[in-house]
Amino acid sequence: MTENIGIPFLEGHYSPTLDLWPIEAKEFNRIHTFYDNLKEGKYTTTKCKGCGHISYPPRVICPECYSDDLEWIELPTRGKVITFVEKSIAIPIGFGEPLIDAWIDLGKDSPVRHVFSRVINCESGGIKEGDEVQLVVFDVPGHPIEWRKEKWIAERVYFAFEPVS
Amino acid sequence: MNNINATIIAGGMCKFGVRQASYLDMVQEAAKDCLDDLPGLTPKHIDGLLFSSTFVGRRSCQANTAPVIAERLGIKPTSICARLDVLCAGGSTGILVAKALVESGMAKVVLVVGCEKVYTPELWQIQYDEIAAIDHDWDAPAGIGPPPIWFAAIAKEHMKHYGTTREQLAAVSVINYGHGTTNPKGHFQKALTMQEVLEARDVAAPLGLYDCCPLSDGAAAVIITSEEKAKELSDRPLVYIRGGSQVSLHSVSANWPGEHLGDWAHMKLAAKKAYESTGLKPSGIDVMQVHDCFSISQIVEVEELGFCDKGEGGPFVASGETKIGGKIPTNTDGGLLSVGHPFGATGIRQGIEIMKQLQGRAVLQVKDAANALTHNLSGANVEHTIVVYSKEPKK
Repeated sequence: MTENIGIPFLEGHYSPTLDLWPIEAKEFNRIHTFYDNLKEGKYTTTKCKGCGHISYPPRVICPECYSDDLEWIELPTRGKVITFVEKSIAIPIGFGEPLIDAWIDLGKDSPVRHVFSRVINCESGGIKEGDEVQLVVFDVPGHPIEWRKEKWIAERVYFAFEPVS
Repeated sequence: MNNINATIIAGGMCKFGVRQASYLDMVQEAAKDCLDDLPGLTPKHIDGLLFSSTFVGRRSCQANTAPVIAERLGIKPTSICARLDVLCAGGSTGILVAKALVESGMAKVVLVVGCEKVYTPELWQIQYDEIAAIDHDWDAPAGIGPPPIWFAAIAKEHMKHYGTTREQLAAVSVINYGHGTTNPKGHFQKALTMQEVLEARDVAAPLGLYDCCPLSDGAAAVIITSEEKAKELSDRPLVYIRGGSQVSLHSVSANWPGEHLGDWAHMKLAAKKAYESTGLKPSGIDVMQVHDCFSISQIVEVEELGFCDKGEGGPFVASGETKIGGKIPTNTDGGLLSVGHPFGATGIRQGIEIMKQLQGRAVLQVKDAANALTHNLSGANVEHTIVVYSKEPKK
């Protein structure tokens, strides 16, 4: 065999079908502001300027009144663990151990009451119900973009929660 | 208003498990088993094909799989030829869509076939593909794609709110594996003891190995046609697709519709709709197949379907009410836990068992069964699908 015909990733090409992370770049995503805000440590979503409805995840239209006149608002970045799970086997490639997820209460005043999030910077057995956790933003691998004859690597971030030390 | 009533007249499946076969091989095996189930039935009788699968397109560079399958099966569809992707409920969705097509008069005889080829040449992709089963941008990066995480959280919350015990979870596995010993086409034919379930290694505590359905390859197929055509093709008792429901209230986990994770408000709504649309009540259902993807799932499902009070699912199952002779015999062919769960094929496999129960030819036969249902949840519990079968159409 002399060439990798038919298997582009063996030659280093990117295939979004096996990409875990969102394609966040503004060239491909109208809610890229969410990720821009994350880079500043802000956890945000969209609120309708017409009817006041707050949606999560963020939208480009209001799902209640279908207005497209929306604004960005901040969500709490701290919450309490209602319940948590630690997966012991068959952890997906790239996640590493321990893989801990928690159902988190963002508080009765938060427009988004609960999130189910990964808990990182936490050892196995290092979390219990009622513990306080906070938003943490981290870099994830970028991906190539080809756009109007230019090529570049789009940098990305994502979020999880971590124990409040 | 037309007066056509859809019926299920034949069904078959391939051996489920870790198969040395492609998805196209398994689809052919299932279709043959289905047509062999009703002597005289040939591919030429079939004018519609619905194919249910979520991952086969992802397993190779292949889209638009329905014509590929129609060709391999010698079927030349003239009414419908399409693929459905509803993950774990794709097969049941195919049966509901076939019912609608038959009752509208658009299709005469529809083959609904579902298949999943879970095992890939490199095993890492199995877990990775499960990430694709949930909301990609908002839940997948949290690592909650592999379903044991989500259902372990449900189990912990159900235990906290209702006092459900580890032993009650294990009872679901013991009973369903017991039923599965009679099903040679299932992934397993192994009787389990309570001790084996309790001592198995954790997958995601409190769920151990036997609380989780296996990863299985497999395919299953059924024929849906009108009552009139059924009488022409078959001498067996008629089994009507009496009605059903499919409810989706959210996708991202943050928008969970219940009061807590042990409260499945979307399933309760699906059950209400299914009962209302068919004129039946839980007390009128004689046998059912529910989505026991995990032991905890069946406990919540018997509650939300109205067979016991909310929170009583653990004691209900542990006291034997889902066995043959119990209040509602459930997963009589072994369920997902023992037969396996090739996503797109599961609802069809359930439909085959129900058809046989209502025709009086099941292996673990429920005496005089007249009304039955199947239930599936999809993905990270974001959709609930119910199909109601009956020996009588809705009046």
